[in-house]
Amino acid sequence: MIRRRLRLLAASAGFLLGVGLLPGLAASLSLTSHNFTPYRTCTITATPSTTTAVIDTTARQASATSNFGTLTTITVSSSGAANQRIYLRFDLTVCSPAIAASATVRLATLRLYMTAIPAACRILDLYPVTAAWVETTLTWNNQPFGTVLNNPPTASRTGTFSVGTPAGCQNQGTGTYVTGATVTADVAGFVAGTSTNFGWMIRDDAEGSGTTRTATFSAKQLGSVAQAPQLVITYVTVP
Amino acid sequence: MKHLRQVVLALLVMATGAAIGAAASVNVTSTTLGVATATVPRCTASGLSVLQNLSAGTVTSVTVGVLPAACGGAILQVTVNNGVTSASGSAAVPGGGGSVTVALGSTPAVTAVEQTDLVLVGP
Repeated sequence: MIRRRLRLLAASAGFLLGVGLLPGLAASLSLTSHNFTPYRTCTITATPSTTTAVIDTTARQASATSNFGTLTTITVSSSGAANQRIYLRFDLTVCSPAIAASATVRLATLRLYMTAIPAACRILDLYPVTAAWVETTLTWNNQPFGTVLNNPPTASRTGTFSVGTPAGCQNQGTGTYVTGATVTADVAGFVAGTSTNFGWMIRDDAEGSGTTRTATFSAKQLGSVAQAPQLVITYVTVP
Repeated sequence: MKHLRQVVLALLVMATGAAIGAAASVNVTSTTLGVATATVPRCTASGLSVLQNLSAGTVTSVTVGVLPAACGGAILQVTVNNGVTSASGSAAVPGGGGSVTVALGSTPAVTAVEQTDLVLVGP
């Protein structure tokens, strides 16, 4: 009699165990009824002015052996013999949590605060730099892209935006961050490890202009949080 | 013979329970897949622009743009973490999409690196 009760008890336990899983499943399944769209953004800001996470400087043709890494402005200029190029790099490894190599970068935007604008609409090109450089030693003569004007060629640019006062130009005013400097593909490559992050060089699309055309932006060394260069990376960890 | 019947009966009942358990296991797999797909963007898979609005060196709000109309009506939850403290806020996405500014409950200081988490719930 006792054996029979034990057998029935065991059988009942097996049945109840099987049934007992169902309420737990229903609770887990309820997650799928939500409609989540999760994004994560890493914003790297060039602050404080002493940070090494962001480096920026200007290469000036007219002062070909001088370094301008400590200036409070960075400048792009097209001129007969006084062209200027910006070199800028953001260290992506400071993002916390780190951006996984498997992450999908949805949008990466370079933000520069414009303080002087050319009277003509100028196209500024972004080129990922292909070799290491140092903020305090870079000059026109030793810059990674060399001293030949309009090199690298426009066709190899990976981003572009326009600045100038004329109507129709993408960025027409000073005292604000420029828009349109999208570098998504470059950052995706940096994150995935398919290319090395040496930052970007920004130059006028047509260097050597007969009339000097200059766009000036606030540099890290200005020490103004409200005007500091930024890189904003929006990504998802699940494709 | 009576013992045999009892054993058979007991095995039958246990098998029934096990069968339901097996079915439950299949559902567990299904649940795992369901949770995974829950993290896939639903109303948009494109890039959202994220701009921090600053005041006196602090982040007061976050403007999220390039929201497609498909996200209209969703609740956008934003959390900014500067490595020291975090602040959150939420707002509804306009019916036609576009951009929405989310005020934060507190104002974390701008630091060299900030993480902003965005979650669109719905629509």
